[in-house]
Amino acid sequence: MATPVPVLRLPKGPDPNSRGFDPNSPRFIALCRTSISTSAASELDPEELQKEQHARSVLREKFLRCLFAMTNKQVYFNLHEKVKVEATFGASDIDVLNFQVSDLHTPIGVQKEALIRSRDVISCHFDV
Amino acid sequence: MPGDWHLLGPLEWTRYVNKEVKVTAGKDVERCGWLLTVDPVSASLVLLDFKADGQTSVDLVMGHAVKEVQVLQEPDEKTLNRLQTSFVPVRSCSLDSEELRRRRASLKDWLQKNLIPVEEEGEELKVAGVLLIRAPYTPDDCCSSNQIILDRIQKLIHNLDSQNSTDQCGTD
Repeated sequence: MATPVPVLRLPKGPDPNSRGFDPNSPRFIALCRTSISTSAASELDPEELQKEQHARSVLREKFLRCLFAMTNKQVYFNLHEKVKVEATFGASDIDVLNFQVSDLHTPIGVQKEALIRSRDVISCHFDV
Repeated sequence: MPGDWHLLGPLEWTRYVNKEVKVTAGKDVERCGWLLTVDPVSASLVLLDFKADGQTSVDLVMGHAVKEVQVLQEPDEKTLNRLQTSFVPVRSCSLDSEELRRRRASLKDWLQKNLIPVEEEGEELKVAGVLLIRAPYTPDDCCSSNQIILDRIQKLIHNLDSQNSTDQCGTD
């Protein structure tokens, strides 16, 4: 059986709720955009906006239910540079910037609790 | 596929939903499956693959990594049905109308006892004008856009339910 070893953690990226990061900086815009703006067409047409918001809520609800189904499941993450790790999925933040996982099996050992930056993930897989 | 995937927007994404798609992501990752949904916040795709043994395998492709999305085919009726029922909680309301009326009344009493303004609106309970509780009045039947009120009311209903079950245990 794999023995748990401590894993060195890199400093965390900027957090959208902490102070000290300029919301107009390119880094913040790239990593921490908290919401997606409406399309140009729907900004002008209230009816279009209504339709867009409805579509948004239907899509989001289904996505959240899927995340909910993922909790406590063994999830296989496909990261950049062909790195594959598996872990027990815990939760995601609302902006889907980080995933909280337990028992992360990394190439150098098992990390009991970890946060995975979603920017490092290409895809992940689980079975229901 | 025109333009960047994450810039398409909800109405464009909806056109791909429920279809079988092939997603190319990162440098050399390819995933095929029935598109259940696209997260409007991260533009991530949820792909389902229904196995013969009844299991479903789920692939989540992160929106930032998506290079291309190609539609392979439209769903047949059976697949569409499975897609629409995936991850949807099973709601079975086995209580009769008399039972529901009693539950509604007891919950209304309980909320009033906790100094929460509550009104009856037909079969629904309306709390402080911002939260709706539908039959069968469990914590999961609360609907509100105010998270703080939602959390408080759900806890109260939960407390009422656990109080009732301990009462029942006491009389047994």
